[in-house]
Amino acid sequence: MAENKSFKDNVNGEEIRVGVYVCHCGLNIAGSVDCEEVAKFAATLPHVVLAKDNRYTCSDQGQALIKNDIKEHRLNRVVVASCSPRLHEPTFRKACEEAGLNKYLFEMANIREQCSWVHLYDRKAATEKAKDLVKIAVAKAALLQASEEITVPIIPKALVIGGGVAGIQAALDLADTGYQVYLLEKEPSIGGMMARIDKTFPTMDCSICILAPKMSDVGHHPSIELLTNSEVSDVKGYIGNFRVKVLKKSRYVTKDCSACGECAKACPIVVPNEFDAGLAIRHAIYTPFAQAVPSTYTIDINTCLNKDGIIVCDKCLKACERQAINFDMKPETVELEVGTIIVTIGADVFDPSTLPNYGYGKYPNVITSLEFERLINAGGPSGGHLLRPSDMQHPKRVAFIQCVGSRSDRSGRLYCSNVCCMNTIKDSLLIKEHWPEIEIHVFYVDIRAYGKGFEDLYKRARREGVVFIRGLPAEIMEDKKTRNLWLVGENTLQKELYKMNFDLVVLSIGLEPRKDSELMQRLLTLSRTQDGFFMEAHPKLRPVDAATGGIFFAGCAEAPKDIKDSVTQASAAAARAGILMAKGKVTVEAITPLFDAEKCKACGLCTKVCPYNALTLNKELKRIQVIEAACGGCGTCAAECPFGALTQNHFTDAQITAQIDAVTEHDAEKKIVAFCCNWCAYAGADFAGVSRMQYEPNVRIIRTMCSGRVAPKFVERAFARGAAMVLVAGCHPGDCHYINANIQTQKRVERLWKKMEEQGVDKERLQLLWASAAEGEKFSSKIHEMQTLMEKLALDDITKAKKVFEKALGGD
Amino acid sequence: MPERIKHKPIDEEKVKHPKAEIHILTDQCKGCGFCIQYCPKKVLEESQEINARGVYPPKVVDEDKCILCGFCMAVCPDFAIFVTEKQSEEEAC
Repeated sequence: MAENKSFKDNVNGEEIRVGVYVCHCGLNIAGSVDCEEVAKFAATLPHVVLAKDNRYTCSDQGQALIKNDIKEHRLNRVVVASCSPRLHEPTFRKACEEAGLNKYLFEMANIREQCSWVHLYDRKAATEKAKDLVKIAVAKAALLQASEEITVPIIPKALVIGGGVAGIQAALDLADTGYQVYLLEKEPSIGGMMARIDKTFPTMDCSICILAPKMSDVGHHPSIELLTNSEVSDVKGYIGNFRVKVLKKSRYVTKDCSACGECAKACPIVVPNEFDAGLAIRHAIYTPFAQAVPSTYTIDINTCLNKDGIIVCDKCLKACERQAINFDMKPETVELEVGTIIVTIGADVFDPSTLPNYGYGKYPNVITSLEFERLINAGGPSGGHLLRPSDMQHPKRVAFIQCVGSRSDRSGRLYCSNVCCMNTIKDSLLIKEHWPEIEIHVFYVDIRAYGKGFEDLYKRARREGVVFIRGLPAEIMEDKKTRNLWLVGENTLQKELYKMNFDLVVLSIGLEPRKDSELMQRLLTLSRTQDGFFMEAHPKLRPVDAATGGIFFAGCAEAPKDIKDSVTQASAAAARAGILMAKGKVTVEAITPLFDAEKCKACGLCTKVCPYNALTLNKELKRIQVIEAACGGCGTCAAECPFGALTQNHFTDAQITAQIDAVTEHDAEKKIVAFCCNWCAYAGADFAGVSRMQYEPNVRIIRTMCSGRVAPKFVERAFARGAAMVLVAGCHPGDCHYINANIQTQKRVERLWKKMEEQGVDKERLQLLWASAAEGEKFSSKIHEMQTLMEKLALDDITKAKKVFEKALGGD
Repeated sequence: MPERIKHKPIDEEKVKHPKAEIHILTDQCKGCGFCIQYCPKKVLEESQEINARGVYPPKVVDEDKCILCGFCMAVCPDFAIFVTEKQSEEEAC
């Protein structure tokens, strides 16, 4: 129990022996940092008994060296100065453990992402900064404590959010492995986008024909519980133990429905069917498409005449022989307990009506590629006959325009949507297959036929006579009489202007993040890239894992991708989730609070700020109690405690203070002390490094798990020791990895600002930044901004602040 | 499915709606206005002419809009309104 852990047993008489390893990382670090010099410097630091530099510390040889030294030189602390701890901390921790050293006695200095990569052209400054970073790490390492992790059981059930092809595949894979799966779908039927497409590239398989058997497997699988018309409303818990609330909207049709369709025939209401992109009609009681799973009909209560329990029209009730219609159904909330979650919410399509020059929505014969799919589909509104909407005539000249809502500043979508090139080539071939006489022109920027069999398909299209013209039309104009369309633009290969006439224009629209991904991000504490798609834990090595434990991605939720990639990723996500559940238990990092009963005054402040209710006040015993399994590990309780009775294991007050002292030992008046939360700001700073965004070398980042760990006394101490600037950086409000702990950060910073103002200290010296893991740009420009402020800063102000915050120096 | 709908359904005309014939027994109406209020398609409105009972009975605005739900018949306290299906003269279209 936590009560027994005390942070006072630091001094147990053992001699501290630190080994420092400075990694060259090939030339990634050595290219702009003199690693040898850094290692030499490290050797002079207190407690350091050994300092080495080597080319690749993470390699087997590098790890073997560490293991060997631990035994040979009786090292009891290890510091590796290399890449970000977000990348290789687990690797080195494992190496330490293998050599018999507790993994909590390992510390990292991030001299790649946060040093060499962001100061590529200033070797001297980068080397100096690297030395400082090593010094900070050694200062913390000396105070590290061995800790044991607790294990929690994992519920062997999974939740898959989104019933598109990715969700279907993930659910089937997990269910076949033997786990109970809940498959959640917002719409009345599973199937997603793939169900709406006519054929798939490059093999020209009928899309619904290959999907329908899978959908039906989901419907019949004994281990899959299908929840349609349902949305996630709340998620609580942590890896292995999620408690999910699902809002199940009413269908108004019971399971007795035999899908005979008599009700729909009787229904007098006619509205556009969303499944057919509005090109076909449906009734208020309907099934979105013939192969829908579940096949049970559904009532769209927004268009039905019967609202609020008043039966105005009873035609469907009368038509239903099995009496499966029930207007008294109420929406219900279901509570699920699952161990893992797979997010497969898919993507939306771009709305081209925001581009006025293409006239979509104004000209009837300009359609989107999705509408085209429905038009050419035998099960679609036109029975597979290609028609143009203005006069229902068969078009003779068809144009495809690529990159509508992709790769363009104007639409605000800078990324390539990945599927549109091949989709257009497939569509053009479909037309040629049925009506070889139709002339087809494709206007493109680049044709990206990168996948297996794609190039063949592209060549086939060219052979069949599809004309490819490089250069998108600048404008589409309509002939008022014939409703034909004039395309005007420049052929950039031939350097000539074109003006061509077409009967039908298909806009090849891109994919964009779903509108509700923001909600999903908040519910599951995920991060998203600048494009708005979900961000994986590592782009190369953990491509389906979310940064949050126990959550995985598949399909277009992570980035636009085709069916094959979605299915591949879904199987990968299922395997990753399966690995967790097969283990049956997971260890929770030992970063829970440490409690000193003697200092506790039972004020209960900590219990109020804990986002997990992991702390309770026992009034009789006049002390608090910690429930470790519930603790998320943000450390905001420790920052709140006014008596120093609480601190966070592995991020103790003493350790952080030692880090601050190490930063401010020399040239404090030229430095920025930055406290960054592990999940957003620190990751954002890493991202700035990965993107090689250059900024000034005067910042020293101290990592905490959450910005809520940053106690005011840390900021005060930095100022008292003469630091020029302090930055506190965390996740955006609402995106906090620890539910809402960063609200406390904001409160504390505001209190500090007030205090600084009252004491006449320039309050701009303390900055608060919300930056997500994808906002490297935001981080680096903040450093630019603070550098400018720092240059203007008067020395007087620093001296003044030293005096004002003098108190923060004592009592540690 | 969130994308906006920009085109008219192309099979809209193929769906045959039963045509309604609305019969109002004007002088039997006491002018409560229930039929006007409850009609989901807003087919009826108050007429300008006073009936034998000294009230304004409903009149039909647009018979084509009627979907034959029959709710007006159900709510009329005076049995003054009836809707029947019009037998279409030309079956082919």
